[in-house]
Amino acid sequence: ATLREIETRLKSIKNIEKITNTMKVVASTRMGRAQRAMASSRAFREGDSDFFATAETSTPETAEKTLIIAVSSDKGLCGSIHSQIAKATRAKLQETPNADVVTIGDKIKAQMLRTHSSNVVLSFNGVGKEAPTFWEASLIADEIRKLGDYDKIEVMYNKFVSGVAFEPSVFPSFSPISIEESPKLSEFELEEDQAIPTSLSQISLTNAILNAMAEGYASEISARRNAMDNASKNAGEMINKYSILYNRTRQAVITNELVDIITGASSLD
Amino acid sequence: AEAVNPDVLKVSLVAPHQAIFTNKEVSQVNLPASSGEMGVLANHVPTVEELAPGVVEVIESSGTASKYFVSGGFASILPGSKLSISTVEAHPLDAFSSENIKSLLAEAQKNASSADETVAAEAAIEIEVLEALQAAVH
Repeated sequence: ATLREIETRLKSIKNIEKITNTMKVVASTRMGRAQRAMASSRAFREGDSDFFATAETSTPETAEKTLIIAVSSDKGLCGSIHSQIAKATRAKLQETPNADVVTIGDKIKAQMLRTHSSNVVLSFNGVGKEAPTFWEASLIADEIRKLGDYDKIEVMYNKFVSGVAFEPSVFPSFSPISIEESPKLSEFELEEDQAIPTSLSQISLTNAILNAMAEGYASEISARRNAMDNASKNAGEMINKYSILYNRTRQAVITNELVDIITGASSLD
Repeated sequence: AEAVNPDVLKVSLVAPHQAIFTNKEVSQVNLPASSGEMGVLANHVPTVEELAPGVVEVIESSGTASKYFVSGGFASILPGSKLSISTVEAHPLDAFSSENIKSLLAEAQKNASSADETVAAEAAIEIEVLEALQAAVH
């Protein structure tokens, strides 16, 4: 390559490194907030998961109508976050080919439409820029409820394990019928007229979505930080390599010119 | 499972944005259940109650009481004297200003007679919450 070509290449890599480095810094600063949001939504969810654990509520093994809610986000450049969720959702669809799918986030929508376009019934976007709020989750839950009754609802999300690890996991969300059929529900004294199972099932869906979004957000931010850290490192390596190549080529050019000049001068003698 | 002492009531009060109490040991909790005010002591029978907008009063074993206004939610009383309250919003009572409540209430009452059904329904909910809040602050 000529000297000029190497120079432009080197410049563009330096620019890319600046961008990836900035994205890494932005992700790092958001990390704290994302983790706080996740911790409080986890605590919030424990309130009703304690109840379901005591009542031994379970989702029915065989369900006629299954709904899978796949939670990810709109933005890429964060490693395998979105494809992991897509993979897990596809695995679920292998077991229940007739299940309906609701996608939250553009990335997962694109991936699901490619392979299972007939299953996708509803999709949301515009979430996941900031830490999710209860308001967003309840709006989404409201829209999902308009789709009708499902015997079994599962929320797929990326569980935040640590700063460097996440794993696709599932939150069950219980229908009013499966709450009523819980084997240990008789331990509780419920007021008959208040329709507690219905309201509980609604709040648990909202809760599951909120918690899934918060976990997914934290996983995404940390995955993006790691991805950008790696990208910056790779760019740094390439910058080193190209700097050396650039200097060598420059020296070679100078040497060539010197040879030309000296040969020219000596031919005059 | 951890060893539980059923004679002490353990309360968790959590909102989506923050956990106010987590497994705090207290002597009594008063709840604004939608079926009426209820007091919860240790060894209460397990149940689930829907909460109306109102005040959750937590009385610690030392006798000091702290009051929180909640916008509705659920209280589940689990075996082993464990009470978990999940609500959408929860704030200490003294964080509210009565002037603000008054002006918001006036606005909501104006909207309640709106021709738009959604606006009217939203205003009706606002009035319910604000009236409960006003009664609690005074």
